[in-house]
Amino acid sequence: MGFPYESASWDVVDGAMFIGAGGAAPGLYTFVAAVICVVVLWKGNKSEHDCYAKVEK
Amino acid sequence: MEEQLAELAAKLAAVESKANVTNTMFAETFYYITIPLMILIHAGFLAYEMGASRTKNVLTSGVKNILAFAFIIPTFYFFGWWVYWGFPTGLTFSEGPAGISGAAYANAIAWGWGESAQYMGPNIVDQASGVFFGAFALFAATTASIMSGAVIERIQTVGFVILAVILGSFAWVVAAAWGWHADGWLVTQFGVHDFGAAGLVHAVAGFFALGVLIVLGPRIGKFNADGTANHIAGHNMPLTVTGLMLIIVGFWGFLMACVIVPGEAWSWFGDKPSTIYGTPITLSALSFNILMAIAGGIIGAWIWTKDPFWMMSGALAGIISCASGLDIYYPALAFIVAFSAGLILRPCADWLERRGIDDAVGAVTVHGTIGLYGVVMLGVFASGFPALQGVAGEAPTISFSGQVVGAVVFGLLGFVPGYISAFILNQLGMLRTPEAAEILGLDPTKVPAQGYPEGIPASLQPAE
Repeated sequence: MGFPYESASWDVVDGAMFIGAGGAAPGLYTFVAAVICVVVLWKGNKSEHDCYAKVEK
Repeated sequence: MEEQLAELAAKLAAVESKANVTNTMFAETFYYITIPLMILIHAGFLAYEMGASRTKNVLTSGVKNILAFAFIIPTFYFFGWWVYWGFPTGLTFSEGPAGISGAAYANAIAWGWGESAQYMGPNIVDQASGVFFGAFALFAATTASIMSGAVIERIQTVGFVILAVILGSFAWVVAAAWGWHADGWLVTQFGVHDFGAAGLVHAVAGFFALGVLIVLGPRIGKFNADGTANHIAGHNMPLTVTGLMLIIVGFWGFLMACVIVPGEAWSWFGDKPSTIYGTPITLSALSFNILMAIAGGIIGAWIWTKDPFWMMSGALAGIISCASGLDIYYPALAFIVAFSAGLILRPCADWLERRGIDDAVGAVTVHGTIGLYGVVMLGVFASGFPALQGVAGEAPTISFSGQVVGAVVFGLLGFVPGYISAFILNQLGMLRTPEAAEILGLDPTKVPAQGYPEGIPASLQPAE
């Protein structure tokens, strides 16, 4: 990933200072985080309905 | 002489620089502190609705409340923050008169990718975006918590989380963009003033909950065949009442976060605090009026009920009824308005119950009805006050009709999405728990832990 400024010193930092700043990484991380939320809800719903099915038997 | 002047100028510049650093750190710290204070609201709602649940459902109520918080934060990050900046001028997404709204502006500061990502993460020259985001994300979590208590003991967990996201990261945010932003069309065109979010947080959440409750239906055993209602008591009234008190503690942070501090590039003024509308406010004003509103609400509720649950709900109702005008009410008037809110609280809740609505904690009444009541009451008492910073004759003023318009819009912004999204989830089989699970209890059905492993007396209420 690398330090997002030309010189590896905090002295030159004058803006964003996070990992992946200035590139495509923040968008990728945001996308992955969003996908995690959706998948967890999908899996959670399936698991919840399995529990209901056991009780209804 | 020139040397002395140069030395003096250098010293002055150094002092000015230090003053700026102090002011910036103060501003950042001011909003940072509101975040843990508002987390206390969430802690309060957690205790409140767990206490209001029967032992067989207590952990399920906790799980869904915790999950609401956990899903609101990232979804507000993904798109909720964009909605607040993109929507103020309505569905045109154009830039408003203050120049801090519209799709282009929101695209530049509120997406977690591209150029705008610099404002959505650590940035050495931006000490405002993160704390503003945090405060707004906690407002969002509060709206979801308000709905959470109303639907306990029969809603599915994932279905509830989806509803919480729709409410917390979209519905109330649209209300905030329209009525709680210098470019919001309700403000610029109708002079809507809702300083402490009585309408745009509380009423939106309360009416969203009502829309959900209509589709969700009552708990088994709540109503008899003849339509009369049974009281389903929670298992721990002291926990519920303590939770309500925690919510009130957290509200000091919530209302503090509604103040814009002075002296920063984004402040309205260099030398005095303001509301989000650029109108005057002081923390002293808040202190006077919040305290008087709490007292008025408790006393008003005590008259009818003598019940600590409703007395503490009265305290909340007191704050909510005055929230729109906490910046300009006279304390004794705040007491009167809050007292009247406390007085009507229980009759309003009973009225709703007689219509077959099972609101387990009175959230629709406390937040929805009283929220709208507060928005309208400000129109009664504050007509003619400038609603927004600006030149006399140009700045919109508060009016009764404007506040009524705001109240109707806020009510609809809650109810319509609540009803529609609950209807869709119901069609998908994701809203209501099966009858067998509800009768057995949701904890033994789906939570791998026990609320009281050493036991306390079992529920003795209808429909066990």
